[in-house]
Amino acid sequence: MVRKLTRRNFLSYAAFAAASPIFEIKPLRGIDFILQNSPTPQKYLIETMPGGAALFDYNNDGLLDIFLVNGGKIANSLHVPENFERATPRYWNRLYRQNRDGSFTDVTQAAGLSHAGNANYGMGVAVGDYDNDGYPDLYVTSYGKNILYHNNGDGTFTDVTAKAGVAGGGWSVSAGFFDYDNDGHLDLFVTRYMEWDADHNKICGGDWHTYCPPSAFPATTCLLYRNRGDGTFEDVSERSGITAKKGRALGVAFADYDGDGFTDIFVSNDGMQQYLFHNNGDGTFKECALESGAALTSDGKGLSGMGSVFQDYDNDGRPDVVVTVLPREIYGLYHNDGAGIFSYQSLETGLGALTSGSSGWGVGLEDFDNDGWKDLFVAQSHVLDNVQQIDASLRYKELPLLALNHNGRFERADSGVTTPLAARGAAFGDINNDGWIDVLITTLGGPPVLLLNRGGGNHWLSITLRGTRSNRDGYGARVRVNGQTRIATSAGSYVCANDKRLHFGLGSAEKAAVEILWPSGAKQVLKDVRADQFLEVREPETS
Amino acid sequence: MIQLLLFAWLAAQAATSDAAADHMRTGLEARKQHQVDAEIAEFRRATELDPGLADAFVNLGAAYMEKHDYGSAIAPLKRALKLSPDLPVAHQFLGYALLAQGYAAEAIPHLERVGAQDALGIAQIETGQLTEAVANFNASLAKRPDDPDLLYYLGHASGLLSKSAIDTLLAAHPDSARAHQALAENYFVLRQMPQAEKEYREALRLRPELPGLHMELGQVYANSAQWPKAEAEFRAETKLRPGNAEGAYRLGAALLQQGKAAEALEELKRSNDLKPDMPETLYSLGKAASLTGGAPAAAKAWVRVIELEKDTSLAAQAHFGLAGLYRKEGKTQQAQHEMQEFQRLQSTIGPPRSE
Repeated sequence: MVRKLTRRNFLSYAAFAAASPIFEIKPLRGIDFILQNSPTPQKYLIETMPGGAALFDYNNDGLLDIFLVNGGKIANSLHVPENFERATPRYWNRLYRQNRDGSFTDVTQAAGLSHAGNANYGMGVAVGDYDNDGYPDLYVTSYGKNILYHNNGDGTFTDVTAKAGVAGGGWSVSAGFFDYDNDGHLDLFVTRYMEWDADHNKICGGDWHTYCPPSAFPATTCLLYRNRGDGTFEDVSERSGITAKKGRALGVAFADYDGDGFTDIFVSNDGMQQYLFHNNGDGTFKECALESGAALTSDGKGLSGMGSVFQDYDNDGRPDVVVTVLPREIYGLYHNDGAGIFSYQSLETGLGALTSGSSGWGVGLEDFDNDGWKDLFVAQSHVLDNVQQIDASLRYKELPLLALNHNGRFERADSGVTTPLAARGAAFGDINNDGWIDVLITTLGGPPVLLLNRGGGNHWLSITLRGTRSNRDGYGARVRVNGQTRIATSAGSYVCANDKRLHFGLGSAEKAAVEILWPSGAKQVLKDVRADQFLEVREPETS
Repeated sequence: MIQLLLFAWLAAQAATSDAAADHMRTGLEARKQHQVDAEIAEFRRATELDPGLADAFVNLGAAYMEKHDYGSAIAPLKRALKLSPDLPVAHQFLGYALLAQGYAAEAIPHLERVGAQDALGIAQIETGQLTEAVANFNASLAKRPDDPDLLYYLGHASGLLSKSAIDTLLAAHPDSARAHQALAENYFVLRQMPQAEKEYREALRLRPELPGLHMELGQVYANSAQWPKAEAEFRAETKLRPGNAEGAYRLGAALLQQGKAAEALEELKRSNDLKPDMPETLYSLGKAASLTGGAPAAAKAWVRVIELEKDTSLAAQAHFGLAGLYRKEGKTQQAQHEMQEFQRLQSTIGPPRSE
């Protein structure tokens, strides 16, 4: 279909031709949050690792709200049992409700989310409707104990961690809800970084005093909780085979990479091989990254894996993996070749030139220019706050990376951010419901930064899945629109939860063909779907 | 009367010499028992009884040396040489003792006399005779190629020699291209890349035709992952020196980093033609061939790397590359074999380090 050249379209084309920034930095009216990571001379490793953000509509008013995870107060000399003073408002996590005028209201206290426990230094957040009641719930990870907040549907949340049995322990980082056994109830996966506590901290870097590399501390295991469907979870970490592999896990992303109908897990590990847990479909997983080609670089080297995303960047219908890493490495792009095989294609796709000098954390494959190809966005900043003293060619604060996807090859574009950030998390979603994907970045010691997409002339389609036999969020569904594929999930990135709506750029197409493969196995086809709309699709209740 | 007195004196001397010889024998016996203090006492007594007995002084000096008391060894050894100037062992011990006490200049003639090249080299470092020191260490290494002390001292002397030459260069020709190049190299080692870049740029402004400058500047850019700039510099170097294999290799590697696999392949092939069987070149050549769909060429290059390198980390990487190649081709068994080899090497030499 030939697209009509309207004045608006012409102007948008002209704007792109002049390489205008994709985003503008939007002041977050009503948000006064500062991520308190509390850096100390002791260089406690937790200081450089928070913090999460969630873009989700907690009150179902059609507007994305923002949940922000805070670190905590760290004493200059910290000892076990640690006290992070989370009762003090300065160290609270925060929930901000979006108002109709685009401003935000702090509803943390009213929502019952204010005090996250003095022993818990906050890290990340996951969002999912674990009880299928239509309201998204929150799972907050920490160094310490994690908290599951049930969304009561009336603007308040209840801490149900004890009843649910998902407190975990140790140092949890990213988490995500997914339905690994296709029983219609969202299960929960939690990455854990390492065995560390304040009494066993180390300082590295000689005279420079830096945070230690992950290899300085023992590896640990991730957690998998099976949702029993009655508001409680069962810790199946060991039974499922997840604990068979110790790692230094930071990021997690989900997709059924081999099309066998069961969602698999990709875990980004720091300073070692990456893990790909293949779902055997019988409640167990087998770690197979090495034999699948998704563990190391093409040189057989480990990666400093931080964040990860599991989506199809080249529109071949199969989910691929991108892992963000530290400088002197290259962000790993593992192309899904089919038949359970991945190939490392960072160089072919242009990531070698774009990323070898940067440190990446939060990451997303989203179609920011709505041209039908998923672009790459990475929140960047070095892990060491004094890295420049050690290596003058590196910087602690960096600009984020925006790389537009041109037929499977990434090229740098102007994100519109001109001031380097100590960025960590990146959450993706259409915060102003204009059909263009925006980005929320968290920054250490600073406020969140909202990058509002300036938009353009291309068409789009946003799909909300309403599972009936499958989990209500439709997490795990494979949705194909005009030749593009997205896996339904709010997980991925680093310590963040994304807008659960599935966004597709349609380019000049004004109609879309939609195919949905639900986790239940149901297939659904919608033809001639009008572009430029938010569409809710309900799963057929019978096959 | 005089004859009587002379006889009496000679008889006394004979008795003294016999007594000195006894102490010598006892001293040597004590040495066999590793009783150093007894040894010293016996040899000292022998020198007292017979002050003209050079052997006694040498042995006394040697006993002090054994005790690492180099200061006390010097006097008897000097006395021995006064009595018998050609005693090689006395020269050797005295040379060592003087050197140990920091009297390098005084030690040198003694060490030269006995051809103790290793110790002589050390003494020459102390006296600033660096060229001679390097020559002596090289000569010693020809006899003991793996000696860690010799290797250390050769490196040390060469470094000092290099520094001395550079200091002279900087003092005599501070505005020359070579001076800027030397400064740039120093900054590069210190990882101060902006300063290194500035100095290389100035050197290039002064003498754009100087071989190696573009290559080194390219490495500054490569080190900070500025690949397009690195490519430009390596390209300039290969234009200046088309016959330089390293330039072609580095250009190929920079192209590879940017995903320009076809161009990279050409440069890496050229590098391999100029200087065949360089493992790094072959490994990168395999990568470039693999990226451009040339699986057989990639396999050939990596197999050659393994033949050349056998059990190194580069060989491990080549095994890993082959595993991926075979996996893609559906050759499962071969892929598994290569992966096993990769893992075997990883377990013995450790995982390859990140870039």
